[in-house]
Amino acid sequence: MLEINISGLKLKSPIILASGILGVSCSTMKRVINSGAGAVTTKSIGPKPRIGYKNPSIIEVYPGTFLNSVGLGNPGIDDFVSEIKEIKNYNFPLIVSVFGDNIDSYLEVALKAENAGADALEINISCPHAEISCIGINKDLTHSVITELKKRIKVPIFVKLNPNVTDICEIALASEKAGADAVVAINTLEAMIIDVNVKRPILSHGSGGLSGRAIHPIAVKKVYDLYKVLKIPIIGCGGIYDWKDVVEFFLAGAFAVQIGTALYQGFDIISKMNYNLINYLEEKDYHSISDIRGLAHQYKVQEVPDFD
Amino acid sequence: MTENTIQTVRVKKVINECEGIKTIQFNLKEINSFNYNPPKAGQFVMVWVPGVDEVPMSLSGCDDDGNWAITVKNVGECTKAIHNLNIGDFIGVRGPLGNSFEFPKDQSKVSILVGGGFGIAPLKYLASDLSRRSFKTIIIDGAKIGEELLFINDFKTLNNEYSEIFFCTDDGSYGVKGMASDTFKSLIKNYTKSDLSNLIIYSCGPEKMLYSIFQICEKYNIKLQVSLERIMRCGCGLCGLCAMDPLGLLVCKDGPVFSLKELKQLEDFGKHKRDFTGKKVPLD
Repeated sequence: MLEINISGLKLKSPIILASGILGVSCSTMKRVINSGAGAVTTKSIGPKPRIGYKNPSIIEVYPGTFLNSVGLGNPGIDDFVSEIKEIKNYNFPLIVSVFGDNIDSYLEVALKAENAGADALEINISCPHAEISCIGINKDLTHSVITELKKRIKVPIFVKLNPNVTDICEIALASEKAGADAVVAINTLEAMIIDVNVKRPILSHGSGGLSGRAIHPIAVKKVYDLYKVLKIPIIGCGGIYDWKDVVEFFLAGAFAVQIGTALYQGFDIISKMNYNLINYLEEKDYHSISDIRGLAHQYKVQEVPDFD
Repeated sequence: MTENTIQTVRVKKVINECEGIKTIQFNLKEINSFNYNPPKAGQFVMVWVPGVDEVPMSLSGCDDDGNWAITVKNVGECTKAIHNLNIGDFIGVRGPLGNSFEFPKDQSKVSILVGGGFGIAPLKYLASDLSRRSFKTIIIDGAKIGEELLFINDFKTLNNEYSEIFFCTDDGSYGVKGMASDTFKSLIKNYTKSDLSNLIIYSCGPEKMLYSIFQICEKYNIKLQVSLERIMRCGCGLCGLCAMDPLGLLVCKDGPVFSLKELKQLEDFGKHKRDFTGKKVPLD
């Protein structure tokens, strides 16, 4: 019932671990899979080791809503290759998130990840708190990076979209035109919190990316808009907290979903979501979660009224 | 407001414990009168020194008035900044985080607390809780040299009827000569099988010391609870830096206190940690 096929990747559940959460060691990714996830996405891996920003770098703002600026801390692809190989021993679908400083370094990391056994690559063009965010806000740059990657990479390529743009559809269409196999929408939203007592931003980097409950309605709207213009699948990401949020993404047009921040509640929430999703589908007499995809689009919404 | 939200509070008290080690107190009850979440012995907090860094710290105490305490050794940039704090300065606090020490099942059990260096800090919190509940407690407080030995007077004023204290130093300048783990080993040397089965060991300190205590407890099948330390960003199960292979247990969320049964399966225990890049490196 929950099985899906996205760009040839067969998943037991449509719930995928989002990049940046727990995806640094094989042991925790295995735990996520054992909790019922259909696939895992690693932390974004770059060409060289990066320490990232100092703490505070991950904090809760409101219950279930977090702000982070890890700054792409990662061990570098050369060190991470052994982790990818270890994960592949367990034979579950692995998506490696990659980033670079330019087209060549994107390609270098992507090729090494593919050779090590990645089943798909997620291209991080959208981290809002690192210098590479400029790619994801420019449709031409996005088009060139994805075009170059598609020339050399055989596994499916997912593009993680930056929501901090005027028109997310234009970047998504550029990705599709360049041959992307799917898009992931959305990455975190640029945000800041300032402490009233010490009168300074709390994150060491000042600003960061907002994730969790507060961004879910924003992500649903982006998926809804993207579904109207794209032919390639959309993976909904942003603020999933329980099973209803998964259903909402599907109704808006998602083919699969990613979960990240909600895991602060523990690993069990994934198996609970799977259980509740099956109940929902059975109760409503659907055979597969794919049957509900895009259903919210059959309803007309009120257009802007005339002012005369 | 949740335990993962940073709250800024004023430093209420600073205690000079000994050369290079201070205890800082702050109150979280006064600013959270409606939803105060009191900590338990073994839990930790993330402490933010604005403009410097945010680091995990075990709580060394908490009283009924909501005064939380951390005991900090001046070893790096952030701990130096903590040492420079004055009463009235603001720090940020997230917590209480992680699990806690499990109390003995009943009053017939004997607890032995083994602390090395400033690893004795969370055990001081536990010792006062155990003493309050009249649990029979033996404390082994060890340090490299006498000048670095912590909480001598605090331990001496615990409930004497139920507690026994041993001090030890590597150079023999105070108490017994030798490491805390050696003192522990010689203490239980003459214990009978039933004595041993009645014990529950709590330990915190350098991981090499913890590992030798683990080996002794494994050999004699003694109940053990160990508090571990790892690099972390989130403190709430998201960043993954504190993962212990191969089970993927997270020190911030599944720990920091682990049982003998868990430690047996953790290959990283006593050997590896992850640095800020996420790369696995040998323990110092």
